This record gives sequence, C-alpha cells and structure tokens, in this order.
Amino acid sequence: MALGGSSAVHVQPPTPLSSTLSSAAPRTPSSITIHPVALFSILDHYLRRTQDQPRVIGTLLGNRSPDGTQINVCSSFAVLHSETDEQVAVDMEYHRTMYELHSRVNPKETIVGWYSTGSNLNTYSALIQNFYSQETAPHQAIHVALNTGAEEGEEAGVQAYVSSPVGVFPKPENCIFVPVPVHLQFRDSERGGLDLLTQTALSPNSTSAQPVTALENLDAALTTVSQMIDRVLAYVRRVLAGEVEGDKALGRYLMDTLGVAAVGEKGGEDKTFNASLQDTLMISYLATLVRSQAEVSARLALVT
Amino acid sequence: MAAALAASLPAPVAAPTPVAPTYEAIPASMSKVIDIEAEIPLQVVQLDGLVVTKILKHTREAPSSTVHGLLLGLDLDGTLEVSNSFALPHHVSDEDEKSVKSSARYQSSMLRSLREVHTDDGVVGFYQATSLGAFFNQSLVEIQALHQEKLRHGGIVVVHDLSLTSRGNASFRAFRLTPSFLDAFKKSNFSTTSLVSHRLTFASILEEIPLQIRTNPLLGSFLDTLTKSTPSLLPDATPETAAVSVIPPSFSALDLGTTGLTRNLEQVIEAIDNYRTEEGNLAYLSRQIARERARADNYVAKRKEENLARVAQDLAPLPEEDVARLFKIPAEPSRLESMLLLGQIDAYGKSLEGTASSGLVKMYSVKAAST
Repeated sequence: MALGGSSAVHVQPPTPLSSTLSSAAPRTPSSITIHPVALFSILDHYLRRTQDQPRVIGTLLGNRSPDGTQINVCSSFAVLHSETDEQVAVDMEYHRTMYELHSRVNPKETIVGWYSTGSNLNTYSALIQNFYSQETAPHQAIHVALNTGAEEGEEAGVQAYVSSPVGVFPKPENCIFVPVPVHLQFRDSERGGLDLLTQTALSPNSTSAQPVTALENLDAALTTVSQMIDRVLAYVRRVLAGEVEGDKALGRYLMDTLGVAAVGEKGGEDKTFNASLQDTLMISYLATLVRSQAEVSARLALVT
Repeated sequence: MAAALAASLPAPVAAPTPVAPTYEAIPASMSKVIDIEAEIPLQVVQLDGLVVTKILKHTREAPSSTVHGLLLGLDLDGTLEVSNSFALPHHVSDEDEKSVKSSARYQSSMLRSLREVHTDDGVVGFYQATSLGAFFNQSLVEIQALHQEKLRHGGIVVVHDLSLTSRGNASFRAFRLTPSFLDAFKKSNFSTTSLVSHRLTFASILEEIPLQIRTNPLLGSFLDTLTKSTPSLLPDATPETAAVSVIPPSFSALDLGTTGLTRNLEQVIEAIDNYRTEEGNLAYLSRQIARERARADNYVAKRKEENLARVAQDLAPLPEEDVARLFKIPAEPSRLESMLLLGQIDAYGKSLEGTASSGLVKMYSVKAAST
C-alpha cells in the first residue's frame, strides 16, 4: 500500500555509535503511515490558497512508536507562510495557537513534522525543515511532500523525507532530504467512509445521496461480485476456446478458490441453515414487535 | 543517494489527450441565489469529503460513544454546503460553568484561526456520532434548540452511525427540530395536553433533510490515483499481490458474521427497561396528582355543604378561595424523557430489522452459491 509509486531504494543509515551507548537517543524514522484525513486536509488547504501562492505548508500531527522508527501521521492543519525570492516567513504564532487548540481535543497527537504541496525541494524547504526540527526535538522532523497532480505533467502522489545535515559545518539552509517509505493507513471501521468517497468521486457530478440502506449496499456488492464472476467466466471460456494462452498462476488460484468453496458436508449445512434462518426470522419479528409497541405507546400517550 | 533522490521525483509523463471538460453550470446572475435574510428554505445538505473523513476519525478516537463537533460552511440557493468541521473537546460535566466558558473560548479562537487560512467560518450546525441509530437524547435536543434560534437557517445536526459504518455502509443523516416541537420546547411544556395540541410523538421531534456527499474534483482525482491498481514490480508475484493498490477493493458488505446483533438486542432491552422506569415515575406522579386533586375537591365540596348550612342558619358563608393555598397540586410531569426513550427503542428496533433483513439475503445468497 505504498503511496506515491516511487521506485527509490530506501537506504537506512546505520545506527550511529552514540545510540548504542545511550539507548535514549531517538532513531531515524524508517517508516511513515498517513491517515487519509491528513491528506484530505492538505488537499482542501491547497484548494483554498490565494492566487499568488505557489504552494501551501502546514503542520503534521501524529504519534511515534516508542523507539522513534515508526511515525503515524493522524491529522494536519494549515499554517500561514509567505515565500518571496528573498525570504520565507512562517507564522509561528499561528502554528502554536493551532497546536494548542488541537491538543485540547487530541492530547495524544504531537507535532511530527510538516507538509507542503508540490514536489520541489529547495533552500526554503531546508529552512522550514530546520524550524520544525526545533519543534519536534529531540526527535527528527519529517517532511511530507504531496503532489496534487493539478499541474500539467505532474502525477499525484505523496513522498516523505527526513533530513540530514550536509557539510563540515552544518548550516540551516543546507540539508539532504532522505526519502522514507510512506503508507496510507486507516482502520477497518473507516473503510466504509472511504468506499463511500471513492464511489462518490466516480459518480457523475461528484455527488451521492444519503442515507444508503444496508440492503442497497448489499445489492451493489453482490452485483459487483456477479460481474467479477462473469469476467472470470469469459476469460476461462476464451482460454478453453484457445483464443488466449492461459496464465498458469491464475489457473492455480482459481482452482484453490473453487476448492475452498466446495469443502463442506451436504447434510450438516441444511441443518445449520435452518437453525440460523429461524434465529434471523425471530429477530426480525422481535424488531417489528418492538417498533409497533413503541408506536402504539406513543399514540396512547396522546390520549387524555 | 543522488540517484535515489532523482528516482523518487515523479517522472514526467506524456499529457493525455484532453477530453472536453464539463463544467458545473454557473448561473448567469447570482442575484437570485443570494439571500441575506435567509429566505430561501433549505432543500438539501451537502457534505464535503473532508468532513466525512474528519467525522469518521473523530468518532473512532473518541473516548465515549457520543462525540460532538461543529460543522462549518455556507448556504447557496437552498443547498447547505458543509465544507469543514472541527471536533469539540469532550466535557466531563455540562453543568460546570468553567468548562462551558472554556469551550466557548475554544470555539471562537478555532473559528478565528480557520478564517486566517481561508476556510469557511460560518457555523451551520453540529454533528453527533451514535451507534445503532439511537441518537435521540436530551443533549442533542438542547444543543439543536439553541442553534435553531441563533444560527442562520436554524442550523442542522448531522448524525453519523458508527455501527453501520463498521459494517461497510457509512451512514450520515441530517436533521433539524420540527417547528411544533421547538414551540413546545421553548415553553418547556411537555404535559399531555401540550403534546396533544402540538401533535407530538417521537417521530415528529426531528425532520430529516436530504443529505448528499460531494467530493471536489481535486479530491476525486486524488482518490482515483489511490484506487488505481498498478502491476507489481516483482516478477513472481502471487495473484493476491500481483496488482498493488493503495486502497484495495473491499467486500465488507458481504461479511456473513452478525457482529453487534447481541449488543443491539441488549440495547433494546436496556432502552425498554429505562422506558418502564420512566413510565413508572410518570404513573406515580400522576397518581399523586390525582390524589391531591381528589382531596382538594373533597375539601371544596365539604366547604360548599357547610356554606349551604350556614346560609340556612343566616350566617356569613366561609371563603372558598383558599383551596389553592391549602393544597399544593404538583405540576404535571414532563413527558419529554419518555418520548425520547420511545424514539430510542424505535431506532434500535429499526436497526435490528435492517440487520435481520440483510442477514436473510446473505444467508440465501450463500445457500445459492454453495449448491
């Protein structure tokens, strides 16, 4: 589930000697996960930028694993900044205020780094990175570059970096951004929401009506499955007719799947089915009974 | 290292042949859709994709099952566009004067901060998360009644059902209080006569407003990139890993397990128990009222008889007006709580029905598939 589709080989710097001496020294993050809400907030911020802003930046909030190698980015908020040819300015006061407000709702989320849109890293990126490193000390700040894909010739994607100083005398405006693998992470319970959004994005004029009943949802899922079976069937027929050469791996996979489905005794199944059917019907009756009783009771309350 | 950096930058791709873009219809004149006095009635609530994910995240992380947050946005020509939201801190106790004040301070400074980064800062309502569809409770009604007086268009409440979402069907519904309920609530009079005159049952507390989900084109294209599956780079990948996608397709709607059914049944029982207790209280109070009233009537009848006797004896009659002073007839109890509980029972029953019916469909489809 890697984001961004980069073919970079992620090189991990060897653990510095100092950390073997004092285990308290934080280690370089080696893996970053991002929650969809952080990404969507960045996109929203990008939409609401002023005309003359080429890119927007903001703070990433999240938590670290105890050894500091794994970072979860849970949310993000926009920060005001201005970039000109001569200077870059970040509204630090704004950043602090927003962080305090956020920590009232989510006290567990701390500053882990910053984001910017677009994928060009420049001197200003190094300066901002330097600022955020002070905020996240003693841990390293991460930088997430989100390419919105809005400009021509650019592909949408997400890259994450950590910085390392360069040169004999490290200067804040000089640093190397080392790419770190980044993954999208969400809980199973949030899956339904993401599915809803992807379906909405596919539908014409990007809107979908709510609420969808459970039956409609089930219907859609069953239709998809039936279409998939049709697709597989068409493929198998074409292979049998000799039109295309069969993929051996696919054939083996299909056999495994069908093998799983066929396992099970004939007699026992009916019994379980009937028992389960009776349970479900009972629940259905109970639900109807409860609802009609509630309705009657509400009406009776109006009788004087 | 340089190679790694260079490789990590996205490779320039050939621009695809442009398809004739379809623009959303922009009216020639906006004068018809601008209403300063909020005269155009709300037709539909439109929830942005960002708000959907924010609500989901907040409800998942919240310590208690009911969480609140404010919805921000604006209304245009009958469509209430909710474009952003933020979570409200969870209070320990509502009565605490200090926590109410600090909550108000939090809201205003959050709104000020959001305005600085060009986010819509008009509060249009609030959201609440529930499980199994029972969202009727006092706090929802109170907050919404307050909003309905203060906000433009009266504000809306968006209800998100946690239990349905975890079953793969994200559900969001928008509501507001009906005028008749609001009238009764303002007078804080929920006696039987008031309920009859306002024609109130639990079904007529809230009215539902149609709700839409919308993704903006940028979010849409980004999601498209995320769901696109790319062939794996590994040459000998198994079929499961041959195509890599950030958001793989899911079939949680087809899950056969009936998780949450037991919880749902327990909640039905709990709600019915609560309702019985509440009804018991009401019955006790009305018996007391009846007893007091009977005693007062008795007293009046006796006094009248006495007076008749006194008139016959040419004596001045005793006053009859001191009944109210002697007998304190308690006020008729409020039926709001019992009404809300009935609403809860109904909602639990409804969600139970839904689970049972989709369970039946799943069972028969499995049977059909296995034969």
